[in-house]
Amino acid sequence: MIEFINFHLIPGLVLGSIYALGAIGVTLTFGILRFANFAHGETMTLGVYFTLSLIILTGLHPLVVMPLAMALTTIVILGVDRVFYKPLRAAPTVVLVMASFGLMLMVRSAIQFTWGVQLTSLSTGIVKPYIFFDALRISPKHVMIIIATILLMLVVHFLLTRTRMGKAMRAMADSPELARLTGIDTEAVVRMTWIIGTCLATAAGVFLAIDTHVETLMGYKLLLPMFAAAILGGIGRPYGAVAGGLIIGVVEELSTYAWIGDGPLLNPGYKAGVAFAIMVVMLIWRPSGLFRGRVF
Amino acid sequence: MLKKKLLGVLAGAACAFGAGSALADDIVVGSVAGVTGPIAELVAPIVAGRNLAVEHVNAQGGLLGGDTMVLVLADSQCDPKAGVDAGQKVVNVEQVVAVVGASCSGATNGMVQSVTIPSGVVAISDSATAPSITELEDNDLVFRVAPSDAYQGLALAQLARDAGFEKLAMTYANDDYNAGIAAVFEKSFQELGGTITGNQAHEPNKASYRSEVSTLSNGDPEGLAIFAYYGGSGITIIRNSLENGLFDKFLGADGMYDISVIEQIGADNLKDNIMVTQSASDDQDASYQAFADFYQESTGIDPSAPYAAHGYDAAFLVALAIEQAGAAERDKIAAALREVSNGEGTVIRPGEWEKAKAAIAAGEAINYEGASGVVDFDENGDVTGVFSVNTVGDDNNWTSKLLK
Repeated sequence: MIEFINFHLIPGLVLGSIYALGAIGVTLTFGILRFANFAHGETMTLGVYFTLSLIILTGLHPLVVMPLAMALTTIVILGVDRVFYKPLRAAPTVVLVMASFGLMLMVRSAIQFTWGVQLTSLSTGIVKPYIFFDALRISPKHVMIIIATILLMLVVHFLLTRTRMGKAMRAMADSPELARLTGIDTEAVVRMTWIIGTCLATAAGVFLAIDTHVETLMGYKLLLPMFAAAILGGIGRPYGAVAGGLIIGVVEELSTYAWIGDGPLLNPGYKAGVAFAIMVVMLIWRPSGLFRGRVF
Repeated sequence: MLKKKLLGVLAGAACAFGAGSALADDIVVGSVAGVTGPIAELVAPIVAGRNLAVEHVNAQGGLLGGDTMVLVLADSQCDPKAGVDAGQKVVNVEQVVAVVGASCSGATNGMVQSVTIPSGVVAISDSATAPSITELEDNDLVFRVAPSDAYQGLALAQLARDAGFEKLAMTYANDDYNAGIAAVFEKSFQELGGTITGNQAHEPNKASYRSEVSTLSNGDPEGLAIFAYYGGSGITIIRNSLENGLFDKFLGADGMYDISVIEQIGADNLKDNIMVTQSASDDQDASYQAFADFYQESTGIDPSAPYAAHGYDAAFLVALAIEQAGAAERDKIAAALREVSNGEGTVIRPGEWEKAKAAIAAGEAINYEGASGVVDFDENGDVTGVFSVNTVGDDNNWTSKLLK
């Protein structure tokens, strides 16, 4: 039982937190700008590399320099929006999706060109976990990741429910035409969408880097689970994305627990398929997702 | 008036250009490598080895009637799909004579089956080691200068038994190279009297392998044999194992041989606790020494870098084969490749392009003795090789010992 908590449930929650933070950005762009942003993974990677550079420059803890990295990444992404997406605002969705696909390749190449392709990490060495009651093992970095995720989600919750901009964003996600008719400044909403999505993506990337290591494909590898989380929760539903991310993270880890007999229920070689399976089942059974999002 | 002058200059330039290319053509050879991806650090020295061979060829008279050998680099990302794309690029767009590469077994398998074999182009890999490449239906178009893991898996199993391991758990990344060597290791270790307590495939590139290593630690294994690329999942598995106190002894093959393993995990955690085999070169060998001097001087990289010598040999062999064939034609390369390396004739060592060119012109048989070994291809296009075992030394770097 304790093995279940130590090695399946807690890693599942950590992974789920990272998916959730990334999925919020995916679902907001999907809901408000109405396209699947393939470059979201690269936004994450870019945030991580800014953080890495700042750590090398200042020698401070990743979480201390993260806000500055968020700001830098946001500046880049807002610039990208101005140059690439703004002229295409009225274009059909498929054009935007293709643009984001091209952008994904460009940003990734730019990162590889600037920082190189070597694998590195934000901090080296091994940190032994805290041990409670002789059995429960929690790594300090996991405590840090889970607490930071909760704080960030509270901030997003506050932004969405207590501010005018948050209300405008939710209105845009519900019905863009109606929002425009009621006089909402759509460009300001678009900007805010990028800012929130980018900041959370940077945080997700940095948490992943703290948990594992830094490399140029790290964001891209999270793209599928993030999309699965957004679809599971319902497109345009930030709370749905959080729920979806946590569910997928936890289910992925639990799928390899020895539920029946001694061996893992699912061969870990196929763990990556779990997010895919959940996404497919959800699209067939309930295309609008758990929190009844948009259907395209 | 100005326009006319400009036209004149352009015409002159065009003439010069045309005349130049009629005298000495470029002969284009593909260089497919996993420049990005999970073994990016390992690939850079290999590509440097290939380029050095081409420098030697061009500096000592070039190919055939003074043609320049040009390597066109394409990125196979250590991934089968990207390997096919890279193969398409060099074979169909660049119209290369032959291909050096790809780097990883999965990328090589993808590239040769979808592109080079159907197009009738020879591919010679310098670092693909999966046993499955031996069994390909390749019309004698696939060669490699890296020894098959059928040998390396056995060497690692023997090493593990010699080190006193009775019970081991093992895990492998779900790809051609790692699944191949893991199967050989499992069989060999059991035949040598060892017990495998658990053997699991894992999906590379995941953020966490805690649940996998936790399951593998059942049954009291004494250590964990990891068959993975260090950047795909290897480092994460070692980190997850150590953080949770599940394993502290590790074994691995050449996919784990990189300095970043020590840098990321910390040398103190790995001293006396990790053994990694690698395809090695005998540093007493005259061919290797010749290569090592050239390589060190020209690139500044340590010549013992994994497969750097193999990279040199693969590119040099393609050059020799083109020279031997007397024409840069795709369908003549395979036969010529066997003629220049079959163990009979004047011995040619790395850097001896002028000597080789003269011998071929005189109609003499030549035999290339490579930096990586004697490179005599068997009927499957494979070579035998020697291996080294690598542990973490006092300088916090890998120390190698040749296995006899």
